[in-house]
Amino acid sequence: MGDLQSVWPATDGTAVSRCVPVQPALTDRQEARYRDFKAFVALNVEPFAGQWDREQRIPDSVITLLAKSGFLGGTLPPHFDGLGWDVVTFGLLNEALGRGSPALTGVVTVQAMVSMTLLKWGTKEQKEKWLPSLAKGEKIGAFALTEPGAGSDIQSLATGLTPAGDHFILNGTKKWISCAQIASVFLVFAKLGRSPVACLVPRDTPGLSVEPIDDLMGFRGAGLAQIHFKDVEVPSASLIGKPGFALSLVAPVGLHYGRISTACSALGLLRGCFEESIAHAAMRKLGDKTVGDMGMIRSLIARMGTDLEAGNLLCHDACRAQDEHLPEAFEKTLVAKYFSSKAAVRAAADAVQIKGASGCHATSPVSRYYRDAKIMEIIEGTTQIHEDILGKIFVDRAGSFGR
Amino acid sequence: MNIEEEKGIKDTVRRFILSSVAIPKLDDNDDLFESGIVNSLFAVQLMTYIEKTFAIEVAMDDLDIENFKSLNATTAFVLKKNGQRNG
Repeated sequence: MGDLQSVWPATDGTAVSRCVPVQPALTDRQEARYRDFKAFVALNVEPFAGQWDREQRIPDSVITLLAKSGFLGGTLPPHFDGLGWDVVTFGLLNEALGRGSPALTGVVTVQAMVSMTLLKWGTKEQKEKWLPSLAKGEKIGAFALTEPGAGSDIQSLATGLTPAGDHFILNGTKKWISCAQIASVFLVFAKLGRSPVACLVPRDTPGLSVEPIDDLMGFRGAGLAQIHFKDVEVPSASLIGKPGFALSLVAPVGLHYGRISTACSALGLLRGCFEESIAHAAMRKLGDKTVGDMGMIRSLIARMGTDLEAGNLLCHDACRAQDEHLPEAFEKTLVAKYFSSKAAVRAAADAVQIKGASGCHATSPVSRYYRDAKIMEIIEGTTQIHEDILGKIFVDRAGSFGR
Repeated sequence: MNIEEEKGIKDTVRRFILSSVAIPKLDDNDDLFESGIVNSLFAVQLMTYIEKTFAIEVAMDDLDIENFKSLNATTAFVLKKNGQRNG
């Protein structure tokens, strides 16, 4: 851990942040933006994240602030009013936000999932119609894939699209959809006969209703909802991609960005656990010693710091692979999300353990991290789905040798 | 059509698929999707590989199973896209 500096006694967040591993191999511009992101989060997110969690709601003013900062269109190109960031920079934003509020990161996650899918597979008209308003945050998107009976087994979608002259009729229900409470447009995945299909449905379309889902364990401000479609009219021009490709090529683009975002957000949460833990270990007195003098506590912190360093490298590598448009970006992102979300769960549990009773109270961010981290092992593909996919990739690759 | 260019594209894609999927061999007309050689997890990697290797972009209008159903079809698709770019 090359950047670990001796700055004790840690008196403020700045001192603690100097004790965490640096992000690997950033350009000057990426480094500067990362500093800006962390300053934004320290000022606008961290002081309020606990309140959002308790109230299960993120104020509109915060979403507006994200939008005005350009954070909802960071990866979109400038000709669609985005900021044209590289994916490494997008990852850094998610890392910084994850330190403050993974629930708020969810808005950035979902916006990228919808807008990057549209950027790849939308028609010229669809891009011109939707991308500028998504980039500026005038419209908030939601990625409506999961259903009450189709989560990990996404091929069993029951939401159906039926032809009706020059348009289609959409019926079905989506569940556990992040940001659906505030979204103004939904990217909906359904079946047209046996063919998976994707379409954009504005929130104000007759027959569409949103039923908020409250009282989640974590991500309590992420605005999850169930969406009901009852005889919703969908114009042919609203189909994204072509029937038959929605689950094989269209959805994977969005899910890929969702995994990048979640992996980096989990890394930010992990950094939060580490910073809270080392500060407590250094400052909390036990007689004439500190908590950090205890070997068992050092053991927990050693694992946390090592996970943080490893997660940094994996997330950076995945983002860089995407920037270079490498086919292995898919696999690297799976690895980064798998590792970071699992490490975040471990770190959050250990951070609560290190802080003891104070870590169990709502006034400590680690109690929220503990609940939020578990959600990260489930969204954008569960840990077990990641293991299944990655295990197959590794075994298949080994099987290819010798031919 | 340049036969060497066609063979080069086909062999390049074949090598990528064989290095990623546990199948013993891949013939020019084997159906990549119906056979399950290219599943939904591998499809996006294959698309990215084709885009990166041959400097083309697969867009909405290209979403036609006829463009990707076999090595022969994929090769013809790459040649067509290259022709569009160069023409």
